[in-house]
Amino acid sequence: MSASQSAVRSRAEAVQVSRTFDWMILFTLFTAVLGGYHIHYMLTGGDWDFWTDWKDRRLWVTVAPIVSITFPAAVQACLWWRYRLPVGATISVVALMIGEWINRYLNFWGWTYFPVNICFPSNLIPGAIVLDVILMLGNSMTLTAVVGGLAYGLLFYPGNWPVIAPLHVPVEYNGMMMTLADLQGYHYVRTGTPEYIRMVEKGTLRTFGKDVAPVSAFFSGFVSIIIYFLWHFFGRWFAKTDFISDDAS
Amino acid sequence: MAATTESVKADAAEAPLLNQRNLWAGIALYLAFYSFIRWYEGVYGWSAGLDSFAPEFETYWMNMLYIEIVVEVILFAGINGYIWKTRDRKVMSITPREELRRHFTHWTWLVCYGWAIYWGASYFTEQDGTWHQTIVRDTDFTPSHIIEFYLSYPIYIITGTASFMYAKTRLPTYQEGLHLMYLIAVIGPFMILPNVGLNEWGHTFWFMEELFVAPLHYGFVFFGWAALAVMGVVNTEVMAITKLLKKDLA
Amino acid sequence: MKIKDRVLKLSFIALLISMTAAMFYAPTASAHGEKSQAAFMRMRTIHWFDLHWSKEEVAVNDTMTLHGKFLVFAGWPETVDKPEVSFLNIGIPGPVFIRAGSWIGGQLVPRSVSLELGETYEFKVLLKARRPGDWHVHSMMNVQGGGPIIGPGKWVTVTGSMADFVNPVTTLTGQTIDLESYALDNVYFWHAVWFAIAFAWLLFWIKRPLFVPRHIAVSTGKANTLISAGDKKVGLAFALGTVVIVAASMGSTNDKYPVTTPLQAGLLRGMKTFQMPEQTVSVKVEDATYRVPGRAMNMTLTITNNGDSAVRLGEFETAGVRFLDPAVHEDDTNYPDDLLAEEGLTVSDNSPLAPGESRTVEVTASDAAWEVYRLADLIYDPDSRFAGLLFFWDAKGTRQMVTVDAPLIPTFI
Repeated sequence: MSASQSAVRSRAEAVQVSRTFDWMILFTLFTAVLGGYHIHYMLTGGDWDFWTDWKDRRLWVTVAPIVSITFPAAVQACLWWRYRLPVGATISVVALMIGEWINRYLNFWGWTYFPVNICFPSNLIPGAIVLDVILMLGNSMTLTAVVGGLAYGLLFYPGNWPVIAPLHVPVEYNGMMMTLADLQGYHYVRTGTPEYIRMVEKGTLRTFGKDVAPVSAFFSGFVSIIIYFLWHFFGRWFAKTDFISDDAS
Repeated sequence: MAATTESVKADAAEAPLLNQRNLWAGIALYLAFYSFIRWYEGVYGWSAGLDSFAPEFETYWMNMLYIEIVVEVILFAGINGYIWKTRDRKVMSITPREELRRHFTHWTWLVCYGWAIYWGASYFTEQDGTWHQTIVRDTDFTPSHIIEFYLSYPIYIITGTASFMYAKTRLPTYQEGLHLMYLIAVIGPFMILPNVGLNEWGHTFWFMEELFVAPLHYGFVFFGWAALAVMGVVNTEVMAITKLLKKDLA
Repeated sequence: MKIKDRVLKLSFIALLISMTAAMFYAPTASAHGEKSQAAFMRMRTIHWFDLHWSKEEVAVNDTMTLHGKFLVFAGWPETVDKPEVSFLNIGIPGPVFIRAGSWIGGQLVPRSVSLELGETYEFKVLLKARRPGDWHVHSMMNVQGGGPIIGPGKWVTVTGSMADFVNPVTTLTGQTIDLESYALDNVYFWHAVWFAIAFAWLLFWIKRPLFVPRHIAVSTGKANTLISAGDKKVGLAFALGTVVIVAASMGSTNDKYPVTTPLQAGLLRGMKTFQMPEQTVSVKVEDATYRVPGRAMNMTLTITNNGDSAVRLGEFETAGVRFLDPAVHEDDTNYPDDLLAEEGLTVSDNSPLAPGESRTVEVTASDAAWEVYRLADLIYDPDSRFAGLLFFWDAKGTRQMVTVDAPLIPTFI
């Protein structure tokens, strides 16, 4: 048996082996990114993502894109520069949202009985697709960060509005006006989350007119650009294949 | 490469490159075990897990905690000890085909590691958010923590170290030294467990209310990032597998 | 081999089915979850009294109330932030009831409120039963910087089936909806649409050989061959399609829901307080000891009656536990047994204290509740100080409330 001997018996087997590895690698990448991304996202923007009465037009819009552009940027840095695969952002976001949906359905609803219409996740897909396509067309980190990052922030609120708008219909309740989302938060008792914990818009100056969401989205897009750069380099670093000496002596 | 009669015979006799049964059994093992856990918490979370001062809490939850910790220590030592004890001392002289086979086995471990990370970091961690809405948190060892911190995290840690140990003891690729990203991919998520110490300490004098985005939790976030180091492992693996397949794939 | 594969496949499906089934198994038993707080916190923050649970058994969709009063204790402990931002919560295991309403001094309090030290407030929580089971229903106040302050709890049984639960609400635009399932189809629809688009994009790429061949191409300088002109067109279509769908769906949503408002938030201040009858009795705590083996607290009190009718001490209340002298006062509110020591209060001389008279008496409050509710742990707290409410009655049945707040010395023999 010489070292020059082939590992496979035929080209067909080589192709098959390569394809089998594709699936195993994809599975591991998907689940590991899902785990890391999910724990990151739930602890930096989770409460806004968990409950409809946190999904406001100021802080949710600002926080969610900023903290969620992280892993997409890092995974893109690996998959595009090493394999020319323009799916880094979409695969991360899909993984995250699948993880969230499984949890919201089986646990928030299935274990503790919060209706799904109060605890569904935010939609991050539109921004992710645009991020991937810009990277593919431009083949440039800077372009993706600036144009893609901004688009990622800007697309977030309109991408979610069709889902949350029905819950922002006002209702009069015992002499007070509130939205249906507020009412959900009030009705479906969260023993561990008193109302004051909620971080939502509590009134702002109206420098740019009465529309808070576009200003927030724009600011969020702006910060997303910076975060994209930062996490692109994180991604590159995490994609390294270096060895360190294991010789302690 | 013309196949000789001998090599055809050898083909028929040798083990397959990828032992599919092990792969699927691995995935099914975690799925079955965690389904049981999900059933257990669904039933005993409600019937015995709401009041940590009740005797049934001791029976169904504290005992589970004691048992799982003991079993985990044994599994950790046993699995890693076994992999180390049965290490290949002539790892640099294996045939390319054997190396390829070991890469497949290694990936079976990595698939299980990814799967275990999913259950620990995603499924059982976010679940914690909803359980702590439901109970008044009167102990560090809530049913959700007993499962999340002291069961699902140790399980992925054991899986991760085992897969690292496998690579280190059986694959020529990892004989150069310590693969930095592999270390991070295993040690980072591992550090989440010690970080539980900070979490519980903080919760002893901080509010018992559930705010997921509280700065107290950022330690978990930092170590969660380490999951990205799996990309470094993927790249190293792809390079190694490419070396084995390149001339046949061209 | 074929059969084996099939068996494997079927077992896998069976596993998935049983997993799903397991997750929806809903047992009907429960417990509570208080007692965790340091005793001095429970004794010196919010004193709940005059509590009344309107029902002990309630069917799904029916309502019950928990109402009563609470005193925001003047001797508030340093470790808990002052109740400047507080939320009247309800101590139940999640949404087993929905909170149909909650009021402080007649004002609806869906948001946080500001409370004043030393004041008494009247409150009411209206609950609508949702999930069958035996639930411990506690009064509860959350204080920012302090946490949940849990009051007494009583078991309430919810009967019926959660499947029958409805939550109709009429919006200001005139529709009546069921908030339990409202807009759920819409949530599923949009998420399905976006997942489908994302999967199509992923499939477009992962259907081709991925890592090894693409690595070979990139590492040999042929990266450009990996993205064809057709790929770019498809990518552009996905990006433009995404933007168009976002814009169009936003537009159609605005047409469909022309009236929407932002989430409502903001602290409610100036809550109406409840005026307790004027206090004419004054009490001085000479000393107080807790006898560990006897599960009893002894206080030496000097009581002075400055009023115009004779009074007797009938009740000592602390952290929700009520110690009564049955000769003076008996409970008729069906207060939870475990929190009620009907004969737990003994007074060395409890004859009516005449107007203008002053008397020093030995008062003992004893009951297993000291242990069960972990109030005895007070002696191991970093601030060994107790507090509580004393209730006095005159011959006409008029009640007055006096607070006590003093150091506590344990005796271990």
